[in-house]
Amino acid sequence: MRLRLEHVSLERHARALLDDVSLTVEPGQLLALLGPNGAGKTTLLRCMLGLATPSAGNVLLDDDALAKLSPRERAARVAWLPQHSQAAEELSALELVMAARYRFDEPFAVTQREAQRALARVSVAGVAERALGTLSGGERQRVSLAGLLAQATPILLVDEPANHLDPAQQIDVYRLLGELWREGRSVVCVTHDVNLLRHLGDPERVRVAGVADGRLRFECGLDAPELGERLGLLFGVHMRALAIGTPGNRVLVPEGRA
Amino acid sequence: MNTRSALFVAASLLLALLSLWVGPSFSGATRDFVFYELRLPRLLVGALVGATLSISGAAFQAVFNNALATPSTVGTTAGATLGALLALAFDVGSGVFGVSLLTAAAFGGALVTTLTVSGLAASGRLSKNDVLLAGIAVTLAAGALASGVQFASDARALVAAAQWSLGQLPQVGYRGVLLIAPFAGVTVVGLLALARPLQSLALGEELAQAQGVHVARLRFLVLLVASLGVAACVAWCGPIAFVGLIVPHIVRLLAGPSLRSLLPLSFLGGAAFLVICDALARIALPGRELPVGVVTAALGAPTLVFLVSRARRE
Repeated sequence: MRLRLEHVSLERHARALLDDVSLTVEPGQLLALLGPNGAGKTTLLRCMLGLATPSAGNVLLDDDALAKLSPRERAARVAWLPQHSQAAEELSALELVMAARYRFDEPFAVTQREAQRALARVSVAGVAERALGTLSGGERQRVSLAGLLAQATPILLVDEPANHLDPAQQIDVYRLLGELWREGRSVVCVTHDVNLLRHLGDPERVRVAGVADGRLRFECGLDAPELGERLGLLFGVHMRALAIGTPGNRVLVPEGRA
Repeated sequence: MNTRSALFVAASLLLALLSLWVGPSFSGATRDFVFYELRLPRLLVGALVGATLSISGAAFQAVFNNALATPSTVGTTAGATLGALLALAFDVGSGVFGVSLLTAAAFGGALVTTLTVSGLAASGRLSKNDVLLAGIAVTLAAGALASGVQFASDARALVAAAQWSLGQLPQVGYRGVLLIAPFAGVTVVGLLALARPLQSLALGEELAQAQGVHVARLRFLVLLVASLGVAACVAWCGPIAFVGLIVPHIVRLLAGPSLRSLLPLSFLGGAAFLVICDALARIALPGRELPVGVVTAALGAPTLVFLVSRARRE
């Protein structure tokens, strides 16, 4: 399923949060939205979910206008991993994942089975009965990803999936996200850490879009040579590329403020 | 639903049933009359009212994501009180559809306030906190009007109003059961049918919306469906405090937060709780009855404190 934004603008209190953004995510593509805090990345995701309504422009899923779809119809197409979970701490992991099956009209037993399968797919079947409040950050993020899987949509929208995780857990989450992407789903991933994207795998297929002040500043591949310079401009820092591991592999490190 | 909570509910239901034999004992024809014509219908009314208030309280706590939400959060009790006071002030002795004017006016008042608040919620432009605030505003406005009516009323009406506001299960006979049952039925069936989307709200409203729940419509439906039953209960029995607040919390501590078990267990637990409280109200003072609202608060509050402190220790 193709996700397309056509000249999307969003004003709130006479301030432009999004300014004429157009972009397309083709079926099976991975698009990373990078940009400084407050750039409008999360607002962009919220427009793709129908949680925010653009003041101008269109959000299209294939040929359907997102605004015309019912919540259930949207939920069949796009699934969301919010940056900050608001889920009640005493909910069990299984209950969280089962809730993601809301869009399906199915017996309780089927919901339960599908939720357990999703938990097993992301290797946290063992925590199914535990309360969310007792899980580690990494486990919790996996459980949330299991929710996305249980919703069974062609498009995943994830917002800072590795926030507040330790480095090993960050790598795990991005690897897992890469696997889900390679299974054929489209993924839009909001982050401000470009180096984590390496762990998705297939860097030549990862696209990066830079967002600042509500506008799309650039779009290029993760392996594009000019990415460092463009990100430097976007964040207002001097970016330095350091070669690591195999040839062509690099990390981008901010050296100082521009 | 675990074994412990199933046992708890079974025990309280049994205890509630035993309450039929609680009270002064009689013999012969009087005994049959008291048992079948007074206590049994009163038990049924108590069970209906307790169940309706508790399941509505559980649903409101979920829909507002607020532990302090009660069946009266959207102005039900305040509206009913205003209606009751108006009926008493104008002292029109007649009734409507075989129901006393007091009850009919209380029901009407409750519906006006709750429909106002649910109508606001239906627009979808208000957040859940806005809806809560609207409930508080409507409650205050109805309270102010009620004070005005009280000021203009005579002493007899004031005493009657004070009595009504204590909350008690009236001797309404089977007719009362039949009149409350349809409204309570709509509430119970409706809320049970909404358990799944209500459960989704526990993930946060926006995530629930993204997963396909029509949040504004859900909020409206819950308020509407619950208010019908609550309005009927408050109109007949006056405001019975604490049942709708405490029973869902007790059930949650025993059986966990899943609405799949919380709603039906609140229904059963609320029925048992109010019936037991009513039995205690019958025997607490020699020779006269306490209003059941006094017992629910006196019994419910310490129970809740005990359970919460025990849960914290665990």
